[in-house]
Amino acid sequence: MRSVYLKTLYDKRFFVLGWTIGFIALAALMTSFFPAMKTTGLDELVKNMPPAFKGLVGDLTLLQHFDTYLASQLFDIRVPLIAGIMAIMLGLGLSISEEENGVLRTITALRIGRISLLVQKWLAMVTIIIVSALGFLVGTYAVIPFISDATIGNDELSRLIMMTILIMTAYGTIPFAVAFASGRRSAATFVAIFVIIGGFILSTFGQAVDWLQDYEKLSLLHYFPAADIVTDGIKIGDVAVLGGLTFVLLVLAIVLFRRRDIA
Amino acid sequence: MNNTASVIKVRKVSKEFGATVALNKISFNVTKGEIVGFVGANGAGKTTTISTILGFIGVTSGVVELFGSKVLPPTAHKLHDRLGYAAGDMELPPKLTGYQYLSFVLHQSDGDHEERYADLCRRFKPQLEKKIGDLSRGNKQKIALIAAFVTDPELLILDEPTSGLDPVMQDVFLDLVRETQTEGKTVFMSSHYLNEVADVCSRVILMRDGVIIEDVSAKELLEKSGKFVRVETGYKATRPPKEVTDVKTEEANGITTLSFVFKGEAAEIQRWIASVKQLQDVEISEYNLEGAFKSMYKSDEEKTS
Repeated sequence: MRSVYLKTLYDKRFFVLGWTIGFIALAALMTSFFPAMKTTGLDELVKNMPPAFKGLVGDLTLLQHFDTYLASQLFDIRVPLIAGIMAIMLGLGLSISEEENGVLRTITALRIGRISLLVQKWLAMVTIIIVSALGFLVGTYAVIPFISDATIGNDELSRLIMMTILIMTAYGTIPFAVAFASGRRSAATFVAIFVIIGGFILSTFGQAVDWLQDYEKLSLLHYFPAADIVTDGIKIGDVAVLGGLTFVLLVLAIVLFRRRDIA
Repeated sequence: MNNTASVIKVRKVSKEFGATVALNKISFNVTKGEIVGFVGANGAGKTTTISTILGFIGVTSGVVELFGSKVLPPTAHKLHDRLGYAAGDMELPPKLTGYQYLSFVLHQSDGDHEERYADLCRRFKPQLEKKIGDLSRGNKQKIALIAAFVTDPELLILDEPTSGLDPVMQDVFLDLVRETQTEGKTVFMSSHYLNEVADVCSRVILMRDGVIIEDVSAKELLEKSGKFVRVETGYKATRPPKEVTDVKTEEANGITTLSFVFKGEAAEIQRWIASVKQLQDVEISEYNLEGAFKSMYKSDEEKTS
């Protein structure tokens, strides 16, 4: 147990295991549902529905091909939401929890600088996110051989996983940074829930409600267009927004945490 | 650093939390080789003072120095390899075993401390294989104390270090503190156990409501606090000496017992005892630190009220 980074990974080993198994199961299940979803004719049904309802269920023509099916049904809403919740739990757990139970004081009484402590914990968070996000890859590849017509290019799936890691990192960094900057669980939790719920509302209803459309760009989900990532590749602008937000939050957390009182 | 150099220097330090003044312009020095006791009731400001010394919290005004360097929260860790810290309410990482935690502590420090580690484990007999979260408070405290002493630091900052320890382990700890002093190390220790402070500390700093009310040698503190006097007399109307205000009077089987603390000259108390009618028994003893502490606290309260 040489460093805060390794200690953090060790502390969170069961958390990682649990969520990774969950993500494998989710990806495997969604992959196995593809034949049924492809032949339901739901896409025809949705064509005749009012736009507001279409906004809620998404574009069901994407169900005809496995890659766009996976992007729209697994990665478009489910992954950002579920993995976002996981990332928020992780961000809170690695930041404020140790301060509340007094362990942070114990660790900062050693020869460990505040910046080093924060960065090592953040890197551990990113490592955990990467490991658990790879669960989607494992779950998908594990079931593909048993499903007819289920083909997806390695690069397409890799792009989806990379963007998943990026959006999860952004989601996790929000409560992580607010908690380290302020030392307040309530503030960190409020901001994180506001971002994830608000983003979900903006993205799902934004297509149907005129006045919400202007604000849809405020949702992090806007920068994770899963179907477009499969068909058109990753947009640099999306990476810049998610990466930039993460970087700015991390820098702010470092600046404020190094000076504030530790409870 | 020479022998009289300040290891800890606190100059006019104030700390405010909103409208609450936790520390009010406190100043003191701790020089190399001293064992200083830091005493005060709950909420007096002891832990806040220690937190500023360690850089957990910043000061509102004033200066804290460790080993001649100013302590600031962003850079305090650079001084932490020269000190060991343990607190009675210290929380250790609950998911690590004692062994893993101590290994983590050792990795943060330079040098080989294997021998010291083995010696401390022999003395404290900690449960190293169990998760810290599953240990009793006393067993956690043993791990915390080993962590504080294991790197053989120049300065030990101990905040209620024996809380939760059984009497045998308290003795082990006090022996270790005494050894530390003979090696020229410095100890700054807050404690509720005043006998413990009297036992090992050369100097005592008393705090109340964020202010230092006394900074004296342990011996001086006992002298200032006076003598404990207990007189038994068959004469019911016996009056205590004029200077004494706080007298405890008991009556049983026709004997009146007066108990009080006398701070005046020895000749005065001798004259008063000689004047007591139907004197049955007299006891004059050193006031213990517990009593001295309460007496100091009380007199300071009277002064400020």
